[in-house]
Amino acid sequence: METASHSAQKVGSRKTNTRFNAWLARRIPPGQRITLSQSNIFIFPTRSGFTFGGLLAILILGAINYQNSLVYGVAFLLGAVFTITILYTFRNLSGLSIELAEARSGFVGEDIEFAVRVERPKGKGREGIQIGWPEGFKQWVEISEDEAAVVDLYVNAERRGWLKPGRMLVETYFPLGILRAWTWVDINAKALVYPKPLFDEAATHASSKHRDDGVLIDPLGSDDFVDIRDYAAGDPIKNILWRSYARSDNLVVKRYASYVEPRLWFDFDEVPGDAEEKLSRLTGLALRATRSEREFGLRLPNRSISPGVGQVHLETVLRELALYGISG
Amino acid sequence: MASAADSLSVGIAYQIPRNSLMLLMVSQVVVVLPLIVHISPWIVAVCLICGYWRSGVYQGRWGYPSGLVKTLLVIGAVAGIAFSGYGSFSLEAATSLLVLAFALKLVEMKNRRDAYLVIYLCYFLIATAFLFDQSMALTAYEVLAAVVVTAAMVGMNQMQSRVRPLASLKIAAALIAQALPLTLVLFLFFPRVAPLWSIPMPSAATTGISDKITPGDVANLTQSDELAFRAVFDEAVPAQRDLYWRGLVYSEFRFGTWAVAEPLDALDPLDIEEASADSPERIGYEVFLEPTQSKWLFSLDTPVAYGGRIDLLGDYRLLNAEPVLSVLRYRLASDPNFTMDAELSDAIRARETELPPQDNPRLREYAQALYAQTGSAQAMVEAMLDEIRTGPYSYTLQPPVLPRLNSIDAFWFESRRGFCSHYAGTMVFALRAVGIPARMVGGYQGGEVNNVTGHVVVRQYQAHAWIEVWLPGQGWTRYDPTAAVAPARVENGLDAALSSEDRAVLSFLTSARFGGEGLLNSMLEFVDSLEHRWNLWVVGYDASTQSDLLSDLLGEVTPARVGMAILAGGGLCLVIVTLTLFLRRRPQPKHPAERLFQAFCNAMARQGHARGVDETPAAYIRRLARLAQLDAEPLVNRLQASLYDPEAASGGTDSRALRQDFRKLRFKLAFGTTGNAS
Repeated sequence: METASHSAQKVGSRKTNTRFNAWLARRIPPGQRITLSQSNIFIFPTRSGFTFGGLLAILILGAINYQNSLVYGVAFLLGAVFTITILYTFRNLSGLSIELAEARSGFVGEDIEFAVRVERPKGKGREGIQIGWPEGFKQWVEISEDEAAVVDLYVNAERRGWLKPGRMLVETYFPLGILRAWTWVDINAKALVYPKPLFDEAATHASSKHRDDGVLIDPLGSDDFVDIRDYAAGDPIKNILWRSYARSDNLVVKRYASYVEPRLWFDFDEVPGDAEEKLSRLTGLALRATRSEREFGLRLPNRSISPGVGQVHLETVLRELALYGISG
Repeated sequence: MASAADSLSVGIAYQIPRNSLMLLMVSQVVVVLPLIVHISPWIVAVCLICGYWRSGVYQGRWGYPSGLVKTLLVIGAVAGIAFSGYGSFSLEAATSLLVLAFALKLVEMKNRRDAYLVIYLCYFLIATAFLFDQSMALTAYEVLAAVVVTAAMVGMNQMQSRVRPLASLKIAAALIAQALPLTLVLFLFFPRVAPLWSIPMPSAATTGISDKITPGDVANLTQSDELAFRAVFDEAVPAQRDLYWRGLVYSEFRFGTWAVAEPLDALDPLDIEEASADSPERIGYEVFLEPTQSKWLFSLDTPVAYGGRIDLLGDYRLLNAEPVLSVLRYRLASDPNFTMDAELSDAIRARETELPPQDNPRLREYAQALYAQTGSAQAMVEAMLDEIRTGPYSYTLQPPVLPRLNSIDAFWFESRRGFCSHYAGTMVFALRAVGIPARMVGGYQGGEVNNVTGHVVVRQYQAHAWIEVWLPGQGWTRYDPTAAVAPARVENGLDAALSSEDRAVLSFLTSARFGGEGLLNSMLEFVDSLEHRWNLWVVGYDASTQSDLLSDLLGEVTPARVGMAILAGGGLCLVIVTLTLFLRRRPQPKHPAERLFQAFCNAMARQGHARGVDETPAAYIRRLARLAQLDAEPLVNRLQASLYDPEAASGGTDSRALRQDFRKLRFKLAFGTTGNAS
């Protein structure tokens, strides 16, 4: 615990109480940009706050028994500080506008980055605010001179499709830690999660069957595996199949090829595995093809994407793969 | 130790921010400082060692104490206090324990919960200091201490890496300042109740009069200018020689020591009231008694009307229901012509004539001879006073130390030098030796009048002892042998009666006395009047003062009305704080040019040339320049360059030129043209 990092901590698991969530949805409806006000900020003493109250009670008792006006005074001062802290704590969140600045896409298993923009109204700066999703880590927010701060939050992606982290916790213990003001806001944050890419030979073989005919022009330095032949002087060392050499004492090399017209079709029905594995393999193929700047197309059972090349094409393909079988 | 699991409810269970830790260490010093005179030096030493240790941990030089060390420290601390000689449940013992626990906790403090415990202990120690002292100065100091402690608390909840202690202090100071009005409302209206149960007391009477007097023992004399009490008279302050503040009655003499005997039963206040009903002369006054840690109160002869929590005992001294731990305010009416005990009961006669069987033989012989010669009690008293007046007796604050045995003989027949209790004790002994009821009375004599507020100030060095003799028909009658040996002591106060050597002993007298000339004296008087008002309105604010104030403010005092007053007053305070918090708009221009331009716009607006809502800076300058018949372009260019060119923002020469241009334009508009721009 002593080594806990300064900036991040688990928000903790939110109770999946459906009635509470339904009430919350009515109370603080989701929106692109949510401004905090008395209608959506909750405030309650922390455990330290209750201890503080206990201290007040002891001081009052002492003042009564000692008939000491100034001990009364200390108790009243602390009571007044407690009361005013309610205003401070509330004000620290009040007026803040929270919206999603940017959501990056990523693959299953990665931490997906959400950039959240927190804007404060005019007036004094805000500090000691923490925001985060239950599934991720809390981040500190401080907006002193600027109008707004952008905070990067990370949520781990477990499934392909839309990642909707849902309601986000915004809380503050400022200034004394005896009161906590908090709210759960839903800023409609969502990010696209692509299938986890799988790079394996089974997929390569399946895809190569559907290669359009073409002329082999470059046997070296390209990505597409063709076959295996005996080593000849001049072959690149990196192509030697060392595992086979260990077994047979024959040096063999893998041959790769590029084609004049390397139009590839990646077909859902041709790659092996169950549906999710197929999608993962297709993702791997699409990534590899794009890295080697090869034109490729995608055939899914319900639709197909005609061959193309480049980052935009890749994103279109990945999006289809991410949302395959998912509505919305 | 806090676990990370409950973080959602507790907050962040991290290490304590360094900023906050530093403030906590400062708090320790600030909070313990006012208490060090009340606790043993070794505890102060432990505090210092703990503070040093903690700062070593802070700098990473040393580690935290191990479990074994901690256990040993706690055992050592408790044993140390047990053997420190405090009473087992005295306030000092409790305070010492608290301070020690605090110091030890500071060393082993690691996480947030520990830090909060230390912070709460700090607040508690602030309150504890007020049990020993309620002065204005200490109050001001403790408010500042509260700011430091609160700042440590603020530091706990700020982003750890950024904040400096000063920023936390500023927030804490604002918080405390905004809390003060609400504190005042609570202070005035929160209902005050009587004590619920008995509590540990400070173990020793701090100053002043004690319930035992040993005339042979010089240490009994109070050589202090500390305040004993203040008194406010309804009408004129009585003459100095009439200001005998009666407090204690010493009826018992044993082994050379006069002591207060077993208290007599309380008298019925209605009887007293009735007995003085047709008295023409009554003195009404209010006393603000400084804490004595004892129950006795002081009054002029003879208190006939007094408050509900006060008893008048059979020897006509006042006793409070509780020991006086903070300034006590009580109202009295005294009747100087009241007859104390017109008839003397046998029990009291026996009590007030009792002497040990056979000490001081010479004085007994002397008394018997004198009584035989004079014949009556009154004549014998006069004869003894005459002897003191004319004989080789002198008044001094530095009498020789007398033997324990037969000390009165040694004084009366040999040393013949002494102060009030020597003379009073001798006379009581002589009178009792021949069966005349007599007793020594202790209290204060005199008082200085503060010219600012008109109240009387009585200090410890005015402590005095005199005698009361029971005379048939007259009851208990006051005689002051000191008046015989040193008339000036009673007429003009202690200072006048002192020899130059005595004055050297009481060198503080010159600084403490009022009535002198010069700036110093009027300053002393002013400070004293402030303190009096402080006692009047703050320290002495109790249930009865509160009900007076409430009935003045609210008419009839009902719980509902008091509740409404708290809500209304508190609500008003909160509204004001809310307004300052939420409506404060501070547009802060970021670089010099913007600030200059803002100042220029404000100045021009005051002159009647406000900038339009939709007017760009350039358009505004051009409009004004046209009015002033100046060429706008150089200024517009310069302004635009410094406003919109980030490179120019850092240039200092640019802003100086800009300021000159603005000034020129302002000057031209103010004096160069006539009429209004619109």
